[in-house]
Amino acid sequence: MLFALTTQELMERPDLWEAVHRLRYKIFVEEMGWTDLDRPDQLEIDQFDHDEAEHHLVIRNGELAGYQRMLPTTRPHLLTDVLSDLCEGPSPSGPNVWELTRYAVAPGFRDGKRGVSTVGTELIAGFVEWGLKRNVNQVIIEFEPMWVLRALQLHFLATPLGYQRTYGNQQVVATLLTFTEHTLDVVRARRNHHLPVLNRGYPGLLGLKQAS
Amino acid sequence: MGLFDRTLEYIDQLQHAGTAAAVCERLLGITSSFGLTALMAGTVPQPGTPRGRQKQHVMLCDWPGEWLERYVARNYVDHDPVVSHMKQLQAPFQWRDASKNALIDKNSDEVMGDAREFKLRDGLAFPLVTLDGQIVMVSLGGESVELSDAEFGMVSLASTYAIGRAMQLHTKADSVIDHIELTARERECLQWAAVGKSEWEISQILGISEHTSEKHLLNAKSKLGAANRVQAVAEAIRRGYIS
Repeated sequence: MLFALTTQELMERPDLWEAVHRLRYKIFVEEMGWTDLDRPDQLEIDQFDHDEAEHHLVIRNGELAGYQRMLPTTRPHLLTDVLSDLCEGPSPSGPNVWELTRYAVAPGFRDGKRGVSTVGTELIAGFVEWGLKRNVNQVIIEFEPMWVLRALQLHFLATPLGYQRTYGNQQVVATLLTFTEHTLDVVRARRNHHLPVLNRGYPGLLGLKQAS
Repeated sequence: MGLFDRTLEYIDQLQHAGTAAAVCERLLGITSSFGLTALMAGTVPQPGTPRGRQKQHVMLCDWPGEWLERYVARNYVDHDPVVSHMKQLQAPFQWRDASKNALIDKNSDEVMGDAREFKLRDGLAFPLVTLDGQIVMVSLGGESVELSDAEFGMVSLASTYAIGRAMQLHTKADSVIDHIELTARERECLQWAAVGKSEWEISQILGISEHTSEKHLLNAKSKLGAANRVQAVAEAIRRGYIS
């Protein structure tokens, strides 16, 4: 179950808001070592958590299992303001182009050693569904080069926006992914799950396991 | 035209390649000016993969033919310092850095020494991981490798898109082979086998000889690529031929 919430909507649910920023801290500060994001309260929050950002939350069994943040390219975002050395030409922008950031799967939900977990693919199915519903067909992502291969496996049209660079011990390449209904079909077929993943409204209170 | 625009053009060409051979040719067209004249790409076999199956892992190959034969015949994949370096590193690297770390292993020395005979003195390797967690490697080699940081960037991008295209073509080819025609009789026999009937029982139910029911099951088993009856039944259910 994936829920798309605006920053305002997220803030109206303190349990979700805290879980989101705590998961981001755990993954991006503790695991990936992005120390410039460190904060004593152990919540990861940056200048892009503004009121036009959208937060995608995957909830499994009353827990926050996965997360990604979508940013409009019609105002400053990571590629223009923070990671501009990843972009060689003009950076793509417009109402149909969003930037996907902070893609994260909580440690307990990473099945398999190296492959993409079902929560991971739910996030992918989620942003494609979400995009197609609101006339967004392109997403900028700064990710590891292996994700280019994975995106091609899922029939995204991928275009590099610059060369790959090394940050800490990670290789990163900025890529523009274009998708259509066909991409959604391929993603769903890969997941063996053909129903929409995007839900309306709010998830139940975190920590409450739902009977299934 | 700037180097990056050229890179984009190359990638566009790679994405429109219609066969693995065309992908190979286009990628080597980009890299040969840097001394990278041979190419091998595919999934990395698990250590101990039987030799007969190693070639199935190859997706792009423009490697000296004799070298590939020798590589498989001598089971070099288990001793190749480039392969073992790649498994640990998960980032692009130059062959010469891999062999530096592996000097202790005599077998690795043999692999690299042999490679030199085939004018593969140095090269670049790009490890990637697929959706299902399989390690995929693009390895480019030649007599001497000479390229700037920006050119390295171009070659890494081109390699990534080349293997991506190769995998797309590979799955397409797979789905053609994947289509299996089972005859009505084969399906019937499987259906009864699925509920635990023996070959003799099946022959009685369908009014055929025991030998014929055995033959139908054997055919179905081989079409489904199954090792035994249980696996054939499971595979037929998975594919929806029987319920």
